[in-house]
Amino acid sequence: MSAVPNLLRRYGTLLGFALVILVFWVNLPETFMTARNWLNITQQLSMLMVVAAGMTIVMVMGDFDLSVGSTASLAGIVVAVLFTAGYPVWAAVSLGLVVGLLVGAFNGVLVSLIGILPFVATLATLTIFSGLAFILSGGKTISGRAIPESFGSFAREGMPLGEWGGVAITLPNLTIVAIVTVLAVWVLLEQTTFGRRLYAIGGNIEAAHLSGVAVRRLKLIAFSLTGGSAALAGIMYASRVASANPTQGSGLMLNAIAAVFLEHDEPRIFATIVGVLILGVLDNGLAQMSVDSYVRQLLVGGIILLAVAASSISRRRR
Amino acid sequence: MPFLSLRDVTKAYAGVPALRGATLTVEPGEIHALMGENGAGKSTLIKIIAGVVAPDSATIEVDGRSAALDSPAAAHRLGLRFIHQEMNVVPALSVAENIFIGRRYPVRAGILVDWRKLEATAREALARLGITHIDVRRKMARLSIGDQMLVRLSTAFLSEPDAPARLYVMDEPTAALTAEESERLFRALRDIRAAGGSVLYVSHRLDEVMALCDRATVLRDGRSIDSGRLSEITHDDLVAMMIGRKVEEAYPKPASAPSPEMAFVVEGLRAAGIGPLGLAVRKGEILGIAGLANAGQRELLRALFGDLAMSATTIRLGSATYRPGGPHHAWRKGIAYVPRERRSEGLVLSRPIYENVTLAHLVDHSIGGTLLNPRGERRFAASLGDSVRLKARDTGQRALELSGGNQQKVVFARALSGNPRLLLLDEPTRGVDVGAKFDIYTIIREMTAKGMAVILVSSDLPELIGMCDRIAVMRSGSITETVEAHGLTEEALLNRCYGRPAPVAA
Repeated sequence: MSAVPNLLRRYGTLLGFALVILVFWVNLPETFMTARNWLNITQQLSMLMVVAAGMTIVMVMGDFDLSVGSTASLAGIVVAVLFTAGYPVWAAVSLGLVVGLLVGAFNGVLVSLIGILPFVATLATLTIFSGLAFILSGGKTISGRAIPESFGSFAREGMPLGEWGGVAITLPNLTIVAIVTVLAVWVLLEQTTFGRRLYAIGGNIEAAHLSGVAVRRLKLIAFSLTGGSAALAGIMYASRVASANPTQGSGLMLNAIAAVFLEHDEPRIFATIVGVLILGVLDNGLAQMSVDSYVRQLLVGGIILLAVAASSISRRRR
Repeated sequence: MPFLSLRDVTKAYAGVPALRGATLTVEPGEIHALMGENGAGKSTLIKIIAGVVAPDSATIEVDGRSAALDSPAAAHRLGLRFIHQEMNVVPALSVAENIFIGRRYPVRAGILVDWRKLEATAREALARLGITHIDVRRKMARLSIGDQMLVRLSTAFLSEPDAPARLYVMDEPTAALTAEESERLFRALRDIRAAGGSVLYVSHRLDEVMALCDRATVLRDGRSIDSGRLSEITHDDLVAMMIGRKVEEAYPKPASAPSPEMAFVVEGLRAAGIGPLGLAVRKGEILGIAGLANAGQRELLRALFGDLAMSATTIRLGSATYRPGGPHHAWRKGIAYVPRERRSEGLVLSRPIYENVTLAHLVDHSIGGTLLNPRGERRFAASLGDSVRLKARDTGQRALELSGGNQQKVVFARALSGNPRLLLLDEPTRGVDVGAKFDIYTIIREMTAKGMAVILVSSDLPELIGMCDRIAVMRSGSITETVEAHGLTEEALLNRCYGRPAPVAA
């Protein structure tokens, strides 16, 4: 294998990412390459980043979770319903996260203890969790006075970073949450015995089992964490729009899977971040260039196919 | 003129030779046996004939003319028919449909399946085996295992006018058949011979071969021996051809005798397909498990390792009672396991060597049981790698880049990583080249010298005799006898595996 294709294979997506940025920079010289726009992008992306990071945990084992979108919706609804019942913010948010962990654990039980294929199991729970969200909310959007002011303002505020070109720059709180989550998942997957065992399961489940890896228990925990992170994303979303709707997380699942697959040999958290950034930057740039949102869907889908096809072809050549 | 002739066939997998200049000729009107121990190259040779595997070099002739066996379709065109060892049937389809799997269905009006013709042709194929009791419209799933096997066998007898069958290759066809069903098959094979067709018959069952076949080609370490006419040699001659190799030189001598202290005792063990049985291993002792294929050896090791549900009246590890509780528990208690299939069961091929070595005792190499310490792991894997004579660039190399022998050494390094008290080995040298084999034997000797007990499952008889102190013989899930390895001949051991009384020694 010569060096150039190898480099292309490893950094091809990064190269494509740079190209996309360059195209937008040239076409949008005033607005695209500004600190404000980038901070805006990271805020828009923060939910997807959290879901994709959580998804990476199960994908390391060769599984995946289709139910993250409805888990996010469900968690948002749970928090909003608790608000209407008068719970304080900290309690409602904690319980929302617990619900995420529990529904994730339910996925884990279906996959690891009962042995249902992740695709089938989480497709079914996708519908179940979504139904739960509708039942809890009565099918309506929960908003207005029920949502505490401090919960809604969290997403609008951030950490001041100082001034740049006479404009105050702040790092949005949601971006901070996303960064912390990504770092936590990175530590978990790359720096702990837990992560090492997940990689072993993903590499060869039988060898891992015979080497004493508690495959079932680890799968259960991994699915719980994925569910928990999906719930976190749903709560972030609810904070951002200061309301909760039983369908508001539904767009997250496809994008999260796309992001994880966009750059991969083995799913690694770094690759996931690049995938999320590519999707986010594309969306942001195309929107600024006033490209119609349907055309945007077309372009984004095409680019995902192109990237995955390129990596498949280069792998086959090995 | 032979119908099929392969000369000077060589084939190596990733540098490990499977065939080194083997020759096979099959005459028309002959039932020809292909024999040899596991790993001698039989399946490679069959795959070459089937056009599934390309030889590194070979001269292949059919009817005296040079022929290319470069695809299964080419082999089929030349009139070669195969019944492979693995049972592959589609339970949900009918008997007739199973017989026609992979063939073109007869059609009417260009597109519609001609079911009547399909069934009639299938019935005809079964009739070649003298079978009339199987309804070709029944679902395969509703047939007994033996009947399913007969249906599979009959696929080879399907008449095909455009490429008439000339040679039937049968790999262990009687494994799942009763004596009566086998006899039916033999009758069909003799009919084929009488009609001028040929059969290449692969079997471990010596009696069958002696009774049915005209000649044999014996493979040993990838080389071939022509037996000549089987009617002119004895059973024992054939065994000698299969194994004839000097035992003494290939195995390192034990450094010390086993200690009298028991390391592991199990009594009244029962698990799916095995038992009741008992065995005992002393510290520093190697207990061999011999037996024909699928006599329960693999299940025995899995049960002891806690990966197969079992019950036993007594199990003692050292002086304490031991209760199997899954692989994790076994590793913690000092039982290590080297599984049979190193690629599918032993290694996480996509991960580096050091991760594979530390996987079973990862907590011991971490900080506080949670945080990884890759530098420490690499150091540990490197030192253990040295002691098992692992040849690798560095411990960060991925396991899949290693040769078979070195991959096996990585599995051994993991097994030894926690200083186990009992080592369970399942075919530890299969597919391993000669040099690495000797290294592995040396490692086992070094470990037993330190007091580790070993249970060694192997189908390699010289290996069992050369390495073990005692050998337990398994048949149909039970241990039929346990014998001292010292002074045992391969022939005597093989006879015990077959459950035949040993011929009177001189």
